[in-house]
Amino acid sequence: MINEEKLKILTESAKYDVSCSSSGSGRKNMGGMGNGYVAGCCHSFTPDGRCVSLLKILLSNDCIYNCKYCPNRLDADVPRATATPDEICELTIDFYKRNYIEGLFLSSAVCKNPDYTMERLLLVVKKLRVEYNFHGYIHLKGIPKADPLLMHKAARYADRMSYNIELPSEKSLKLLAPQKSKESLLTPMKALTAQSLQFREEKRKGQEKGYFLPAGQTTQMIIGASPEADGQILRLTQSLYRVTGLKRVYYSSYVPVVRDSLLPDTPTGQLREHRLYQADWLLRFYGFSVEELLSEGENLSMEFDPKCAWALKNMHLFPVEINRAPLEVLLRVPGIGAKNAYKIMEARKYTKLSFEDLTKMRVALKRAKHFITCNGKFFGAKNETAVRGLLSAAEEHDSVEQLNLFSMLSTPQNAMIALTGQM
Amino acid sequence: MIYFFDGTTEGFLTAFIAAYTDESAILTSKDIQLSLEQSSIFIQTDTKKAKKASERLQIFDPHALYDLDTLLRCGQEDHEQVAFLYFRHLARQKRPVGKQFANPDIFRAVEYMKKVGFEIHRFHGFIRFMETESGALYAPFSPDNDICDLLVPHFKARLPEYPFVLHDVRRKKAAIYDGKNTFVAPLGTANVLISANEEGWQALWKRYYKAVNIPSRERLKQMRGYMPARYWQFLPEKQDSP
Repeated sequence: MINEEKLKILTESAKYDVSCSSSGSGRKNMGGMGNGYVAGCCHSFTPDGRCVSLLKILLSNDCIYNCKYCPNRLDADVPRATATPDEICELTIDFYKRNYIEGLFLSSAVCKNPDYTMERLLLVVKKLRVEYNFHGYIHLKGIPKADPLLMHKAARYADRMSYNIELPSEKSLKLLAPQKSKESLLTPMKALTAQSLQFREEKRKGQEKGYFLPAGQTTQMIIGASPEADGQILRLTQSLYRVTGLKRVYYSSYVPVVRDSLLPDTPTGQLREHRLYQADWLLRFYGFSVEELLSEGENLSMEFDPKCAWALKNMHLFPVEINRAPLEVLLRVPGIGAKNAYKIMEARKYTKLSFEDLTKMRVALKRAKHFITCNGKFFGAKNETAVRGLLSAAEEHDSVEQLNLFSMLSTPQNAMIALTGQM
Repeated sequence: MIYFFDGTTEGFLTAFIAAYTDESAILTSKDIQLSLEQSSIFIQTDTKKAKKASERLQIFDPHALYDLDTLLRCGQEDHEQVAFLYFRHLARQKRPVGKQFANPDIFRAVEYMKKVGFEIHRFHGFIRFMETESGALYAPFSPDNDICDLLVPHFKARLPEYPFVLHDVRRKKAAIYDGKNTFVAPLGTANVLISANEEGWQALWKRYYKAVNIPSRERLKQMRGYMPARYWQFLPEKQDSP
C-alpha cells in the first residue's frame, strides 16, 4: 500500500491537468476487473466543483525540465516522490474495486530522459493490463521526444493518450518551455492518429485483435501565461480537430503557482476559459468554423457568449421561424442548445409550436426570443440596440449560472446529454 | 374519483382500465388525505385484465412496459398519476407519444423517466463498496428512486468475480449478486464485518480527495449541484470535509 504522504505529493503534482473525461472507450471485461463506460462516469466532485473520474496521479514529480509555468520544474523547491509500478497498480485496483474511480490517469515528470520515463509509464500500464488483469479506463500522458516505438506500444494498452501542447505557439514554447517544441508535440499526435486508423483497418480485416486508443487523443493548452489571442488559439484548436483528429482540447486558465519574470503575476479570469470552451463547443457540435467567429488577432467577447456575439453581427439572418427552421439553423439561435434543438425538432412534428409551448418544454427563451418567431409572432425587442442591452443584462445576471453550465458540460455524462448522443 | 391500487405493475394496469374514461381520475397506491367531496375506490388487482392491457399498450408502443416500469420506480409523490396520464395519451392516440414535448402531461412523464435514468447513471459513480472479511463487496445507499436492482448489470459486468450487495437502506431492500445469480431481497439492517485493509484504503481515498482539490478555486455550490448533499451519507470522502 502506497503511503499517504507519497500519494499526496504525486496527486498534488498532477491536479492542474484539467482533463477529466473517462468517456469513449467500450473496452470489454476479459476476466479480472473492469471495463469501459462509453458515456464516461463521474465518481465524486471536489469542493472546486470539478469531477473525480480517474485516479489522476504522477508516477514521479522528479523532473529534469525547467518549464517556467510548472510547479514541478527542476529549480522548484518542492518535495519530490516517485512511486513504484506496483504501488500505482495496487492503488488503481483497490480504488476501482470500491468504485471510487473509473480508471487511471497516469502522467509523469521527465526523469533522467524522455525514453526512460516513457519506458516506466509503459511498464505500469502493461503490468496493470497483463499482470493485474485490469480492463478499466487508462488515460496515459505521452512524453515528448521519447522513442516512437514506446509510444506505439503504450497505445496498445491505454484507452486514451494525450500530449499537452501547453502553450499555443512555437514562440511561447521557446520562451517558457525551451525543452519542448511544437514539432515534438505534434509529431507523436499525428503518428498516433495514423497508427490508430491503420489498426482499425487491420482489426476490421481480422488481422489485429485488442485495442489501440479506443478513446482517441486529447490535449491541453494553458490560457493566459503567454500573449496569444483567442482567435489564434481557436485556429490551432480547429486544426487539431480537423487535421490531427483529436477528440478534445482542454483549456486551463493560468494559475500562477510559480513566480517568474517571464510570467504574469495574476491568474487568468475563469470567464476567458469559459468563453473558449463555449467557442470550442460551437466548433465541434454546432457547425461553426472559427473563421465565422473571430479573426486571428481577436479575442472573444467577454460581454456576450460567442454564439450571441456571432448572431449580433449577423442580425440579417434573424429572426428564424421555430416551426420551419432546419436543425443547423436552430443550432445557431443564441440560447438554443443541442438538447433544445432536438426537442423542438421532435415536438413540432405533432403540433405548431407557440411561445407558450416552448416555455412549457423548458426551452430557455431569455436570449432566444430576440432571434425567433413562433407561428410568425415575434416576442423580442424592437431594434438591435435594445437587443444588445437586454442580452448584456441577461449575461450579467447569468454569469454565475453560466460558469456552472460550463462545468456541467465538462463532465462526461452531461457532455453526452448536451450532445444528445453525438459522442 | 380516486383509484387506489396495490402499487404493483399489474395493479396499476388494472386500475388504468377502471379509470380510463374518468376525466378526473386520480391513481395512487399511497395513503392520501381525502377531501369531503372526493370519492374513492380500491381496485383489486386482476392479472387477466392487466395482461390484456399490457399487450394492447405494447402494440401501440414497443417500449410501453419498459416506460411503465421506469415510471413506477420514480420516487416523485405523484408518479403513478403521471404514468396514468401518459399511458392514457398513448392508448387514445394508439401510437408512441414520448416525443410530444409540447404536451405537458407527456413532458412531465418524460421528465420523470429521465430522473430515474439519471439517478441510475449517478449511482454508477456514487456507489461506494466496502470490502468485507469474506471478500464480498457491500454498498449501502439511499436513492430517490427504486433502482437498486437496475444497478446490478453495470457492476456485474465490471466486477464479475466479486459477489456484491447493493443495499437500499431507505426501502429496506437489497440487490444481491452472489458471483453467479442476481436476486432482490428485503434487508433491514446488515451486520458487516469489514476486511483488515478496508479502513486503510478508505483513508487513502480521503487523502486523495483532499489532495486533488484546488482550494483557490472553491465552488461549493457547483459541487453540491452535481453531488447533492443527500448522497453524502455513504461517501467516505464526505465524512470529514465540507
